[in-house]
Order: sequence, then structure tokens, then C-alpha cells
Amino acid sequence: MFTFNFLIRALIASVLSSLSLAIFSPFVSLRRISYLGEAFSHMAFAGIAIALITGLNGRIVTLLFVIVLAYIIGWLSKRYKLEETNTITIFLSVSMAFAIILISLSSAYAFDLSSYLFGNVLLVNQSDLIQVGIMAVLSLAFILIFYHQLFYLSYNAEMAQFLRIPVTFVNHLFLILLAANIVINLKAAGIILVSAQLILPAATIFNLVRHLPTVIVLSAVLAILAAIGGFALSWWLNIPTGASIVMLEFFFFLASLALRKKS
Amino acid sequence: MISISELNHRIGDHAILQDINLDIAEGEFAAIIGPNGAGKSTLIKLILGILPLQEGRIEIDGEPHLSWLKHNPMGYLPQDEKFDRRFPATAKDIVLMGLAAELKPAQRFSTSQKERAREAMERTGCWQQARKPIGALSGGEMQRVLLARAIVGGSKYLFLDEPEASVDQTGVKNFFVLLKELNQQGHTIITISHDLHTLTSFCSFLICLNKTLHCHDKTELINAETIHDFFGETTKIVHKSY
Repeated sequence: MFTFNFLIRALIASVLSSLSLAIFSPFVSLRRISYLGEAFSHMAFAGIAIALITGLNGRIVTLLFVIVLAYIIGWLSKRYKLEETNTITIFLSVSMAFAIILISLSSAYAFDLSSYLFGNVLLVNQSDLIQVGIMAVLSLAFILIFYHQLFYLSYNAEMAQFLRIPVTFVNHLFLILLAANIVINLKAAGIILVSAQLILPAATIFNLVRHLPTVIVLSAVLAILAAIGGFALSWWLNIPTGASIVMLEFFFFLASLALRKKS
Repeated sequence: MISISELNHRIGDHAILQDINLDIAEGEFAAIIGPNGAGKSTLIKLILGILPLQEGRIEIDGEPHLSWLKHNPMGYLPQDEKFDRRFPATAKDIVLMGLAAELKPAQRFSTSQKERAREAMERTGCWQQARKPIGALSGGEMQRVLLARAIVGGSKYLFLDEPEASVDQTGVKNFFVLLKELNQQGHTIITISHDLHTLTSFCSFLICLNKTLHCHDKTELINAETIHDFFGETTKIVHKSY
């Protein structure tokens, strides 16, 4: 019974985490900001290290750290007219370096880097599951409520702003939810799977369909199928879950390339 | 009425616009001409609130322009709208963008809004393309779609930044015929253009800009060659009989 419960919990967490990341993926892809998934998840590493040192709540500290850093990046880029992608890459490396120094200084805790890279859905507890569930509901609600604003923000943000569409507000909310999604799903999914779930589902579906609402729904379906499939594979072959899901999604991506109409 | 007074604009030490005083009355078909770097786009971007005003005053219908723009739709067709040709939008989606500010969170476009989009597309002659993906539209078709987006919100002003840039010569003529119709239907039109021949046939008001405002008078009073001599080769002259 215990095994059953913990397996079911891990599977539900995997499905919910895939769903909430995948519905962001079409917008991440259209806005060409897939590097943000990578960047936020690496910055989160420093947040986790700070939480470890201070003994504060890991997720809240990490989320605040990532959001504050995102605003600092935005401000610095604007203030000094820097290329934003460069500033992001600088802060990505610095966050990692900062985290490694902090962890090396805190001798009391042995940090397992591989669990951070690939996550471990089997370690998800009841409270993690509730948080992942809330995140999935928030993500779904956000996409449903602000679909049109996100659509036009992705088409051309400057023109959308000129046409008095509230893109600044929606963009801030988008980035905060993206950061929250990454931080909340990091334990279950790890950096690699989080980054993959933010780009692979939409990249695959866009090869087959160009109607955005359909792309959003199918991206979620594909990510959930990959989560269930990856979960089963990892169980049967005794390989890590996160890595299995990524490989399965990559397989779907290759298949979609083969099926893609030449344009 | 659009009223500009004592406007100056600079980028770093470089003056872009100097001492601009200009009134554009309702119902005009005004054209802004001038060589490259004359500040034409800067001037309309200042009026439209896209660039921050550094010095001077801009009023629309007697109200400071930024506060007017906050609660009124404004028609604008940019020179070179940046978009990904593979972006999953149809022509109609782009026209509806002009009405998206009216949507509350979680709201979808209503039947009457879709009807307004259809009407705008019919007026600009692109309803046939409504369901086409934007990547499948020609330059001229996209211009008409963007024009439909500019008028769909009901703005009485319509700003265009070199609308002829992505259209062939016949397309330009047809496009200006369309603009004239919109003008006759009550839109005040302010367009940047290089094509003096087309302009002299359609415009009621010519704004010659080269950092400073050189003349603004009825088109028929201006000899195209004079303008050509003044502004140089960048202004395109096509001979016509006056």
C-alpha cells in the first residue's frame, strides 16, 4: 500500500508538473525565450544555497531570489543599454558560482548535485504535491484568462503596448509565474527536465499544427504522455525518471520533424 | 486637431527636431516629406507617445497627447512592423489586435467586435484574406490588414509611416486611393512619404521637414521641383503636368 501511494503520488506530481510547464512552452517558443527556463533554473540554484545556509524556507527564498534577480537583470540591461541575453548569461554563471561557494562553505550539508540536475520525482511528499497542484491550476488559469494579451504580446510587444493592450502587466505576471513554475517543479523535475518541458512540447507540436489554442492543448497532452511514458520506462528499465521523460520527448520531437510538411 | 508647439528633440548631442510648431486640423490629408534623417518618423512617434517628449507641447483635441492617448484609440501603420512570418496568426487575428485593448481579462472577442473587424477589412479591401495565415500574405495585402487594424478601433486620426515602402507602384496608387476614401469618410490622415507624385494628387497639406519645419501649405501651392532642389535626391520626383 505504501509503495502504491508513493508511486501514484510521484506519477501525479510528474503529470501536473509536465502540464503546468508545457502550457507555457508555446509562448516561450513564440517569444524565443527558451533560454529563460535554463537561466531561471540555474539562478534558482543560488536561491537554494542561500536557503540552505540561512535555514529559511527553500522555495520562498529561491522564488524571491529568482524574481529579484530577473528584475535586476531587466534594470541593468535598460540602464546601461546591455544586450539582455548577455546580462542573463552573466548572472546565470555568477549565480552558479555563488551557489557553489556558499555550499562549499556550509560543511554541515552534503549537497547532491545530480538530484538538482535531474530532480527526483520519487522524493516528492504530500506538501510538494499540493504545491505542484496549485502551480498547475495557477498556470492554467493564467493562460485561460490572459490568452489574447499573451498572444499579442508574443506577436509584437511594442505594437501591443501602443494599442493599449496591458502587455507590461501580463509580461510581468508571465515571468513571475514562469519563475514560480521552475522553482516549484525543480524538486520533482530538476533543471534538465524543467528546461526540456519549457521548449520540447511546443517545438514538437508546432512542427505539426500552427493553430495556437490547439498547440497549447496538444503540448500539454504530449508532455503528460511523455511523463507517463517516461515514468513507466524508468520503472521497468530502472533508469532515472526525469532523464527518461526528456529522451521520450526528444523522440517525439524527431518524429514530428519527420512528419512535418515541407514549408 | 493636433497641435504641436515649441518642440525640440535630440539624441545625445545630436538635434533631431528643432523648434517645431504645427497645427493639423481635422479632416486634413497631411503628408510629411523630407530627406532621410530629417526626423519624420521621430515626429510622428513623439505625437503617438512612442518616444518620450523632451521639450515642447503636443496636444490632441486640446488635451496633452499622453493623457488623450490613454483613453482614445489611435490609428497607426508603422513603417516596418516586426513579426515572425511563421507566427500562428491569421489576417483577422491581426485586425482584432486593434480591439484587444477593449477586452477584459478572460473575455473573448464578441460577435460585434468580430463584425467591426470584418467591416474594417471590407473597407480596406482585405476581407478575402481574413482566414489566411499572415505568412501567406503579400506585402500589399499585409499593408491593408495593418490599415484595417489601424481603423478598426474607430480612431479619427490615422498615422502612416511610409506606407508605400513595401508595395509596388500600382499598389501605391491603389493604396492612396483607399486612403483618400478613408479621408473622405472622416479620417484625418497624416502620412510620411517619399513619393511626391502620388502625394500631390491626394494630399491637402504638405509638411516639409528637415530638422526644422520648412513649409506647411496646400500642396497645389508647392512646386515639386522646388522641393526636390531643397531636399535633394532622397525625394522621389515623378513628372506630372500641373
